[in-house]
Amino acid sequence: MALPALTATSVTKRFGPFVALHDIDFSLEPGEIHALLGVNGAGKSTFIKILSGIHVKDGGRIELAGREVHFHSPQDAIRAGIATVQQHPELVPDISGYENIFLGRESEGGSLFARMDRKALERRGQALLKRFPVEIDLSRKVGEMPAVEREIVAILQALAGEHIRVLILDEPTSTLTEVEKDILFRLMANLRESGIAIIYITHRLDEVYEIADRFSVFRGGRRVATVAVTEAREERLSLAELMLGETLGEVFPEKNAAPSRGEAVLEVRGLARDGAFEDLTFAARRGEILGVFGLVGSGIDELSKALFGAMPPDRGAMRLLGQEASFSSPGEALARGIFLVPGDRRSEGLTLSRSSIFNMTLAKLDKASRRGGLMRRPDNLRAARRLAEEVTLQPPDIGAPVGRFSGGNQQKVVIAKGLYTEAELYIFVEPTVGVDIGARSRIYGLMRELSRKAAVIVMSTDCDEVFGLADRTIALYRGKRVPAPEDMPRGDLLMAGILGEAHT
Amino acid sequence: MMKSGLLPHGAGRVLAFLGLVAVMATLFTLAEPRFLSQANFSAMTRHMAANGLAALGLTFVVIVRRFDLSFAGVACFAAMTIGFAIAGGLPLWVAIGSGILVGVVAGAVNGIAISHFGLPDIVTTIATGSIAAGMAFLYSGGRTIFQNFFTSGIIDLNDARVLGFSVSFVFLIAIYACAWVLMHRTRYGAAFYATGENPVSAFYSGIPTRTYTALAFVACAVGAVLAVVLILAESGTADTNEGANLLMPAYAAVFLGAALMGGTSVLATLSGTFLITMLLDGFALAGMPYYYSDGIVSAILLGGVLLFDPRVRDILDDAVRFLIPKKTETRR
Repeated sequence: MALPALTATSVTKRFGPFVALHDIDFSLEPGEIHALLGVNGAGKSTFIKILSGIHVKDGGRIELAGREVHFHSPQDAIRAGIATVQQHPELVPDISGYENIFLGRESEGGSLFARMDRKALERRGQALLKRFPVEIDLSRKVGEMPAVEREIVAILQALAGEHIRVLILDEPTSTLTEVEKDILFRLMANLRESGIAIIYITHRLDEVYEIADRFSVFRGGRRVATVAVTEAREERLSLAELMLGETLGEVFPEKNAAPSRGEAVLEVRGLARDGAFEDLTFAARRGEILGVFGLVGSGIDELSKALFGAMPPDRGAMRLLGQEASFSSPGEALARGIFLVPGDRRSEGLTLSRSSIFNMTLAKLDKASRRGGLMRRPDNLRAARRLAEEVTLQPPDIGAPVGRFSGGNQQKVVIAKGLYTEAELYIFVEPTVGVDIGARSRIYGLMRELSRKAAVIVMSTDCDEVFGLADRTIALYRGKRVPAPEDMPRGDLLMAGILGEAHT
Repeated sequence: MMKSGLLPHGAGRVLAFLGLVAVMATLFTLAEPRFLSQANFSAMTRHMAANGLAALGLTFVVIVRRFDLSFAGVACFAAMTIGFAIAGGLPLWVAIGSGILVGVVAGAVNGIAISHFGLPDIVTTIATGSIAAGMAFLYSGGRTIFQNFFTSGIIDLNDARVLGFSVSFVFLIAIYACAWVLMHRTRYGAAFYATGENPVSAFYSGIPTRTYTALAFVACAVGAVLAVVLILAESGTADTNEGANLLMPAYAAVFLGAALMGGTSVLATLSGTFLITMLLDGFALAGMPYYYSDGIVSAILLGGVLLFDPRVRDILDDAVRFLIPKKTETRR
C-alpha cells in the first residue's frame, strides 16, 4: 500500500486551560474523500486549522507523504501541499473567475506589463479545467456567479498550485441547493480520481453517505471513531451515539412538570418564507420551553426574525394569545409581547457604548418614560439594579458601557432587557454562543424561570442545548420541519437535524 | 468605547476645557487688549449664537452617525426667502416662519432620501445643498435684498438685550437647554443615540430608526435657518451668500466638542462652539485675514476629528501608557 497522504499522531491543542484537541490520531489516504463529523465544539474546526497552518499544534506529529512537517502560517501549509477552502471563501466580486484564481500570481514571467495578461490567464485557467473538468464559465464576474460557482472558483484557486495533494473543504454545501450540490460533488469526485485527498467538514450525514469514502467522528476534542462508509451502511452504526456521547452534562435546569403547561401563546400555521423555510406549523405554550434544532442554513435564524417582525413571511398565519398577528416591524412585535434574544448579541442586541441602564430600558421606552417623554431616571436606575441582580450580572456595574462586559454578561444584559419588557413570548437564538460555562448554566436557569410565566422558544444549532433545555422539540432541515414526535429522544433529534430523518 | 488615559473623564474634561479657554483668552488679550472689552464680548456672544444654532442642528445628524453638507446652502435659500418676505411687507414672524418651512422641507427631503431610499448621505446632501444655494438666486436674481429691513423689526433681534446679554445669546441658551433635556433626559434622545450607535439593535428594540434619522436631518436644516435669521438681523440685508459661512464652524464645533468631552452631546457642542467662536473672533480682532483664520480653525477641526476617532485615541492611549506606565492595571 502506498504511503498515506497525511498522518497525524497524538496532535494536541490547548487554548489556555481548555484542551481543544486530545491526542488526535488521523490518517488520510491518497485519493480519498474523508468527512469529519461532530457537533459544535467537538474539535473538528480546530483540527483543520492546525492542518492548514492557522493554529500551531502544542504537541504531536504531522506527516505529509511520510515526511514530518511543521506549520507556522497558512503559507507553510500551502507550500507543503495542503490547500484549504474556508466556509465563506474570500473572493473579489468585481473581477472574473480567471482573475480570481490566479490573483497574486498572475504573471509567470514577472514583468510589469505581463501582469494582467488576460489571454494567458484564460489559457492557464483552461488548462486547470482540463485537469479538473467541471462545467463553469470562468469569464464571468465572481459577484454575478451563483454560490456553487463561487465555491468552485475558490477550490480551483486553492488547486492552482500544481503540487497540492490535500484539499480541505469547510462546510462547502451549507449554502448550496440540491442541484448545486451535485455539481460540487462531481468536481470532488474528479479531484479524487486525479489522486487528491480531500478532508471535508460537514454537518449533513446524507452527504457523507453520498460522496465520502470514510468519515471520522469528533467529540469533545477527541476522535472517537473512523469508519468506512460501506461498513457504516452495513452495520447500521448508531452515529448519534458516537457524536453525542453518553452524558448531557449538568448545566441544564430541571424541566417543568407537565401539568404546569398552559395555554398556547403563539400558534404558527403554514408559515413560509421563500428560500428560507416552508410550511411550518407549531405552537409555543405558556409554562414550557419549545426547542427548535437546526443547522446553519436550516432556516432557524430566518424563522426567529419572521416571528419577531424583522423579516416578513411570504405565506402562513400567526396567532398570538388567540388573536391574529402579523407584524411589519419588531416594534409591533414588542408591543404585542414578543421579545427576541438575537443570535448575534453584539450587533443585534446591544448598544455597546452605552450602559446597562440604557440597554435594559431601550426595548420598552413607554415604561421607562413619563407621558411627554421624560425618562423616569430614579425608577430606571432601580429597575436596572433589580434586573442586574435577577440575572446575576457579575460585577453588577450597571453604569459601565456593556461593550466592556464578557459574552456571558452581555447576554445577561440582553435577557434583562427582555425581562424589562415583560413579554408573553421569549425567543432565544443561539443563547450561549461565546458564553463561558458558568454563565451558561445561569442563562439556562433564567430561561427556565422565564418559562414559568411566559412561553419560551429556544432555537439553536447545538443539539444538546435544545434537547437539554426544551420540554418539546422540533427539528428543521433545509427549511422544513422534520416529521417526528415532539418528545423524540436525543439521538433522533440529532439525526432529524443533520439528516432530515429522525430514524436511521 | 472609551478608554481612560490621554483624555481625562468627567470633571477632568471640564477643567481641561476651562484651562484651554483661559490659555486662549490670555494669548488673545496679550495680542490685542480689546479682546476683553465689552464691545468684543457682546459681538462674541452674538456670533456664538449663530454658530451654536447651526452646530446644534448638526449635532443631531452626527449623533445618528450621518453627515449633512447641505445646511449652508439651505440657510442661503432660507435667508433669501425671509428677505423676500420682509421686502414684500409680510409680518416678521411670517417671514421667519417661511424660512423655517424651507428648512423643514429641505431637511425632510434629505432625511427621506437617505433613510428611506438609502442614498449615500454625503453625495445627497452636497446635491441638495447646491440646489438650495442655487434657488437662493430665484427671488432677486442674486441682488441683495434690504427693503423694509429697518422697519420690520428683525434688526431688534440683534440689538435688543435681556439681563445685559444680547437677546440672540439668551435665545441660544434657551434652545440649548431644551435640546439638552430632549437629548439627555427623554426617550427621544435615547432613541437618537441608539439609532446612531447601533441601528440594527435599535430596530430590534422597536425604535423607528428611519424616522429618527430623517428627523435629525430636519433638525439640522432648521438649526441652520435659525442661525441665518440671527445673521440677517446682524447684517440688516439678505444676501445669496448669507449662510455659506456656517458650514465649517459648525463641523469644527461638533467634532472639537466631541473630542474634548469624549463623545457627541449637546454640552460638547456648546463648548466646541464657544472655543471656535472665540478663536474666529480673536483672530479677526487681531487683524488676521479670514483666509488664514479659517485655515487654522479647519486644522483644529481636523485635529478634533482625529482625536474623536477611537482608533486614533487607542493609539494615543497606548503611547501614553508606554511613556507613563501605570502601576496597577485595574481594567478588565
